[in-house]
Amino acid sequence: MGSKKEGPKISVEVGPLRLKNPVMAASGTFGYGEEYSGIISLKSLGALITKGLSLKPRKGNPPPRLAETPAGMLNAIGLENVGITAFIGEKMPFLRKAGCPVLVNIFGATEEEYAEIAQRLSEVEGIAGLEVNISCPNLKSGGSLFAADPKSVFQVVSKVRQASPSFLMVKLSPNVGDIVQVALAAEEAGADALSLINTLIGMAIDIKTRTPILGNITGGLSGPAIKPVGLRMVWQTAQAVRIPVVGVGGIFCAEDALEYMIAGASAVQVGSAHFTDPRVGLKIIDGIRDYLNAQGIPDVSSLIGSLKAGQDTRKNER
Amino acid sequence: MNPYPREVKAKILLHRRIGPDYFRLQLACPEIARLARPGQFLMLRLTDLKDPFLRRPFSFSQIFRPREAKRKPLDEVAVEICYQTVGRGTRLLTQLQEGQRVDLLGPLGNGFWTEDECTRVILVGGGIGVPPLLSWAQELRMKGSGKKRPSKASEVPPELVFLMGAKSKEKIMGVGDCRKWGIEVQVATEDGSLGMKGMVTDLLAREIMTGQHGATAIYACGPNPMLGQVAQVAEQFDRPCQVLLESRMACGVGACLGCSVKYREEREPGQSPALPNQDSAAGEEGEERENREGAIPMISETSPFRYARVCMEGPVFDARRIFWD
Repeated sequence: MGSKKEGPKISVEVGPLRLKNPVMAASGTFGYGEEYSGIISLKSLGALITKGLSLKPRKGNPPPRLAETPAGMLNAIGLENVGITAFIGEKMPFLRKAGCPVLVNIFGATEEEYAEIAQRLSEVEGIAGLEVNISCPNLKSGGSLFAADPKSVFQVVSKVRQASPSFLMVKLSPNVGDIVQVALAAEEAGADALSLINTLIGMAIDIKTRTPILGNITGGLSGPAIKPVGLRMVWQTAQAVRIPVVGVGGIFCAEDALEYMIAGASAVQVGSAHFTDPRVGLKIIDGIRDYLNAQGIPDVSSLIGSLKAGQDTRKNER
Repeated sequence: MNPYPREVKAKILLHRRIGPDYFRLQLACPEIARLARPGQFLMLRLTDLKDPFLRRPFSFSQIFRPREAKRKPLDEVAVEICYQTVGRGTRLLTQLQEGQRVDLLGPLGNGFWTEDECTRVILVGGGIGVPPLLSWAQELRMKGSGKKRPSKASEVPPELVFLMGAKSKEKIMGVGDCRKWGIEVQVATEDGSLGMKGMVTDLLAREIMTGQHGATAIYACGPNPMLGQVAQVAEQFDRPCQVLLESRMACGVGACLGCSVKYREEREPGQSPALPNQDSAAGEEGEERENREGAIPMISETSPFRYARVCMEGPVFDARRIFWD
């Protein structure tokens, strides 16, 4: 590690949220923070995002819940979580001392549930903001995903916005027709930032038994395999919205994080890579600093959306 | 609460094939070996590259502590794991060379615990499930050793019998180690090429009838159907039984909730260590997706359950807590 004085500036702003560096731990891959706290210093992270939280505890899906895939993995955990009461009582005391901003990922089965959990968390001390997971079935519209339809995204995000003055980051699903329309709907409803992408729905089959490997049959694909998709969606979205975009999906090293920032991300989230290397977040932060030093770039923020691709390039693709 | 796991680069001291598809791997890692307990495991990173993506979990087959570190070819505090080549990850593992370094995270999970008032222990291992029981057998054997007169009953080494089963004799390992430690071994092979022809559970059914079965504790590791039968025998004789479970894992530290198994909620006497989040998942609307026939073990309506993480609440469980069907 080089001398830190006179080093490049790596702090970033994601709307009103100030981060000492652009690397966050993604929801679902970092538990409630304490699971990794003995292995890495949470203080070093830009932020951490807790496991998706609902009003009531959820047991989750039947096993097997995991399948390894080429350069990635499928998971079907089923949003298992401790529920808001246990979260506030048992997890928040630790998280208040984490030393980095804590964002709480929330979800619900109805708009009302989203609003209620957001409202209750807005009264809890020590939460820097909420990440709204909209990749969940809407019980009141036949189980289709909130994330799939710009109208239902607008409605659920509006409800959350009315219920909570907190920093709101809406996490977008890649399993949609046009990510830009969904992003615009979330922005219009009052989101402070967007994070993308969530996992891609996939599956794996055991050919000996001809059964699905996952207990839930399908699951979410994550890991290096999905990075090109995330990068493309961040690039498209960042050009269309005025609010900051946070890049997630397959980030494994500093180069991946830098690609996302150049594509338009104000910050990034590291997810499944934690499983392979618990210290990956810290390595990425060091790697970003090394890159800035080597390139003579004084401020990481100057990279955001700096992709050199004219409109012509984009048109020629089609 | 277990100490936090360590992430270390361990030197490979020994890497040998010990059967048609079984391998023994000894790793110099004082930070892990000093904390490790039988039944715990480590997560091994297969490659610095992005594929295969996940670490692999392996239970300790031996833990070499400083006191006994003067062995050849080992000159360092180390742990040993044994593995069977079953897929791409383990086949890749076979290419590791002695002297090379490999990234480990451990020790992880909860190890075996001693059962009160049990003066006789039966260990039941099937196939690659034998090695994780070896470190526990050794620890039980060495209990109270070094003291002239054990001061407490709990320091007296129990009477030990190790029952081993496999498809054929090439897949039986650890017999030599046990003999060296003075542990009685009985073997069953499916093809009859060594020991009794049959299943290791047949040996158990016979063995539990002999001796003081009222003071027997059972420890088992192996394929799930075997563990289910062992649990059934234990239940029948009302004996404590601990099982070491295997599961697909991603993080190994309790964060991803990927390795969970169905876990019975009732409180029974003589339970495993207290579980975190005990109340949190109880009694809520089931999030179980609709049970598809055959895909998911059917649990009776009256069995309250939650999902327990093999990496945190396990990998050693009280057999009565696990759903075996």
